[in-house]
Parts: sequence; structure tokens; C-alpha cells
Amino acid sequence: MTRRIMAVDRIALAVAALMVALAVVGPLLAPHDPYAVDLADALQGPSAAHWFGTDVNGRDVLSRILYGAQVTLPATVIVIAAATLIGTLVGTVAALGGKALDEVLMRITDIGLSLPSIILALGLAAALGSGLRSAVVALALTWWPGYARLVRTLVREVKDAEYVDAARTLGVSRARLVFRHILPNALNSLYVQTTLDVSAVMLVISGLSFVGVGAQVPSAEWGAMIAAAANNLTNGWWAVAFPGLAIMLTAVAFNLVGDWLRVRNDPTIREGVR
Amino acid sequence: MGRFLLRRLVTSVVVLAGLAVVTFLMTQVLPGDPARAAAGRNATAEQVAEVRVRLGLDQSLPDQFTGYLGRLLHGDLGTSVFTQRPVLDDVAAMLPASVELVLAAMAINIAVAVPLGVYAAYRRGRAADVAARLITLLGAAVPVFWLGLMLQLVFAAQLRLLPLTGQLAFGQEVPKITGMISLDALLSGNWAAFGDALLHLVLPAVTLAAAFVAVVARTVRSSVITTLDSDYITLARSTGASELRVVVRHGLRNALVPASTILGMQLGWMLGSTVLVEAIFGRTGIGAYAVTAVLQNDLYAVIGTVLVIGVVFVVMNVLVDLVQLWLNPRLRQAGSRERRPEIAVRA
Repeated sequence: MTRRIMAVDRIALAVAALMVALAVVGPLLAPHDPYAVDLADALQGPSAAHWFGTDVNGRDVLSRILYGAQVTLPATVIVIAAATLIGTLVGTVAALGGKALDEVLMRITDIGLSLPSIILALGLAAALGSGLRSAVVALALTWWPGYARLVRTLVREVKDAEYVDAARTLGVSRARLVFRHILPNALNSLYVQTTLDVSAVMLVISGLSFVGVGAQVPSAEWGAMIAAAANNLTNGWWAVAFPGLAIMLTAVAFNLVGDWLRVRNDPTIREGVR
Repeated sequence: MGRFLLRRLVTSVVVLAGLAVVTFLMTQVLPGDPARAAAGRNATAEQVAEVRVRLGLDQSLPDQFTGYLGRLLHGDLGTSVFTQRPVLDDVAAMLPASVELVLAAMAINIAVAVPLGVYAAYRRGRAADVAARLITLLGAAVPVFWLGLMLQLVFAAQLRLLPLTGQLAFGQEVPKITGMISLDALLSGNWAAFGDALLHLVLPAVTLAAAFVAVVARTVRSSVITTLDSDYITLARSTGASELRVVVRHGLRNALVPASTILGMQLGWMLGSTVLVEAIFGRTGIGAYAVTAVLQNDLYAVIGTVLVIGVVFVVMNVLVDLVQLWLNPRLRQAGSRERRPEIAVRA
């Protein structure tokens, strides 16, 4: 059993790495031009020439998925990076900045957590205007409160540790105390959460694109591809099925990697409980 | 306990006020002239000017916000440019269909996730557990809108077992009582329509539930495992209690507290996820309404939906806390410290 799970983890790491690699070199591997319209070749099923078939405009679905990785994955990474930055800042200030500041910041955080992020992002994206950039900004602005909560808890746990007290007694400056002694230890657990969030953010981004708020039509973003192909579901299922499988495979891989990091990071999780 | 409730209520009011600020800011960041946006694309110059005065857009920002807040408190969410009706009326008309869908999805969620979690815990490490882990893994990774389309393809278009879209077959009619078609059919004793409405609910409800099953099954599994490893379970077993009794009575009971927290919060998340599901299945709920509103640049309709879902979400959170108090007597004595587990999984 243990061995089986470890094998799963190794495969997950490999798939996640493969997806990241595809996002970098995908276009080099793409057999066709992802934007080349060829109406004579429209809605062809999977074949040797087009492994994943062609869409309603005769574009090669496989090539579009390969290009799409360059849209979806970087957008996801930007959202998580921005949200982590804001969340860490807010969480650290809340944990160290005194009771009043803590109360104010945590109530603001509550507001962010008080709505499903897809709804808040939908509203923000609508206000900012459609497009992938709006979706990314909107999502980053709605995603940070979870990290702020987490970082606040982590920093509060660490700040009274003996080694921090010792450093404080030795006269270490406040900034150095925060950046060298408190944050590095507190943030150890944060990267596990960010890895686990890759799939969730990716699903929301593709969801926003699917409903028409994120990436717009000719884009090879996976959610937008599914939306464009949905009208031809029965006579061109492959143009819907394969981009969805790409999303799912990537999400599963990142979830497994996140799980693996979590177990590795936390010796108290007993074998088999996770 | 009274102090705890009071604190929760105050927090909820603060959150709602914050929501009002956020939605007010949304009306401000809109590029271009908000008066023109509110009046609609085809409005004349006089109409735009009239809207500007009516919405107080000629006033200072704080005054505008006070006006906005006052209108919200009076239930005035503005007028939809697209439907030309008050947003509150639109949302009130759409909400029942969404609530119906969410409740159906929640029923499926509980019926699948709880037994799955308990069984996986009981057969820990065996094939059934691995299978359960696989199901939860896929559930957490599947794009709901894609799952909806795939289910439509297989069960409606190919196998023709279930209806493709809509809420009721053509020709069936039910009186409007609650607005939830299945419930209205039941209340009016129209069994044929009731069955038909349920058939129309199956695919969208399964689609909506899929992402949530994973989280609940995982939570139930790990709390049942923790319970099954404890001394009193060994004791219960040694007294000759049947396995079923040990697992269900003791194991499941302890899983109820964390599971109910998550299930309660999920009701709010599910309402949010309707934006990804309703349009695919041609259901006229607030999710579909919000999507149409976004695509039509109907800002007040979008904001109205955001506000209504936000209010539902806040109310749900208070209810979840009340249920927690009821299920877990220890909390009643505890002070006012926060005690809800941090829920890391978002949908």
C-alpha cells in the first residue's frame, strides 16, 4: 500500500512536471498552427493527422491544447503569486501589528472569505471589462484572504517561539526578526497550500473563460476552447472532451504533488490518514 | 453562548457592510460613464442626465455611498438594463430554481460522500479505499462545466435516458407556489410533473455535486479513522458490539461535527457554482442570470446577484455556527475565540 501510494506520488510529480514543461515548449511540439482556420477540415474526429480531431473551424485540437497550456498555467501562477504576496503582507501585519490593526485586517479578510470566489471574481471581472487580464486581476483580488488567515495563524505560532525570543533578547532589529526569523519558518507551510490551490485557481480561471468573462474566443485557453466547442457537442465531442481532460489531468497532478508535500512536511500525519 | 452569538451577529453585519463597500467600488471602477452604463446603451442624453441625478452621480463620493447604502437597505438594487425590471424582482424570480438545484445537489452530495468516507475509513488501505481516494481526487480536479457537457453527451444525447436541458417537459404545467418546480408539482399533487421535474434535475445536480463530494468524503474518512483508532472503539468491539454498530454509531457520530460544518458552508459555495452549471442545462436560476448579466454589461444585475449570494452565504455561516453549538456542547462553554476549522479547500 505504502509503495503503491509512493508510486502514485512519483507519477503525479512527473505529470505535473510534464505539464509545466509543455507550457514552456508546447508550441514547438504542436503538429499544426493552433489558429489556422481550415473549414474544409472542420469537425474531423480523432485520426492519425489530427490526434484529438479538429474543431468547428478546422483547427487542430491537440495543437490548441498545447498552446493553451501557455495561457492557463501562467495565468494561474500569476494569480497565486499575487494572492500569496498580498496575503502574506496582510497576515504578517495582522499577526504582529497589534490588536486593533489585527481586528480591522481580519474583518476585511472575512469579507473576502464571505463570498464564493467565483462570484466575487465574476462581479469584479464584469466591472473591469471582459478579458483574461481582468479575470486574473479579479481572481488575485479575491483569492488572498485565505492566505492572509493562514499566514496570520502561522506567524502567531512562530513569533513566541523560544528562538525568536532569544533573537529578540540579543537585540536583533525588528525587520530582521520578521524577515530572517519569523517569516521563513512560518511560510514553510504556506507553499503546501499554494500547490494545492493551483488546481482550484486553474478551475476558476477556466470557468470564468467558459462563461465568457476570461480569455476571449479565438484564444486557445482551455475553458474558452470548451465554450466555443459546446455548441457542437454531439457532432464534435472531441473538441470539448480533450481540453477538459487536459484541465483535469493537470489539476489531478498538482493536487497529488500538494498532498505529497503536505505529508512530507507534516510528520504528525499518520500513514494512511491523509 | 449569548456573547458568542452576539459576536457572530456583529461580525456578520460588518461583513455585509464590507460587501456593500466592495459592490459600491465595483460601480466606480467601471470604465466610462456609470450613468450611461446604468441607463443603457441606447439611452438618450436626457435619460442619461436623469439617471445621473437619480443615482446621485453628481454628488461627492461619500454622499454617493450613503445614497447607495440607503437604496440597498430599501431593497433597491437598481434596474436591469437588459430585462428593464428591478434587479431585486429578477433575482427573487430566479432564486427558487437555484435553491432547488442546490438542495438536490446537496442531497446527492450527502448520499454519496458520507457512505464513501465511512467505507473508505473502514477499509483503510484496501482496494475500496484506493478507489475512494481516486474518486475524490477526480472530483476535486474536474471542471464542473465540462462534466456537465460530458454527462449531457452520454446520458442525454447518446443514451437518451435523461432530458438534455430545461426544467420541465413541454406540455407539463405546474402552478407557481414556491417557484421550485418539483416542490410545486408535489404540492399541487401533479405526480407526472413531479417525476418529470426530478428527471430534469438529475444531470445538473450530479454535475454541481461532483466537486463537493470529494471534500466531504475526505473529511468524513479522516475523522472516522481517528475515531476507529481510539481506545473506546477497542472497548466497544471487545464488548461484542457488531462491526456495523461500531462503525456507524461511534465512527459516524464523531464525523458529524466536522462534516456538518463543511456541508453548511458548501451550500453557499454551491449557490456560487450555479453560474457554471445552470446555463449549460438551460435552467433559469440566478447563476444563469448572473452570466447573462455579465455578458450584457448589465452591471447592476451582476452586483445584485453578488449581493444576494453574499447575504445567503453570511446567513448560512451563522446557521452553521448555531448547528455547531447544538452538536458540540463543549463549544457552549468556551469563550468567544474563533473555533471554526480553517477550510482550505475552495470550490
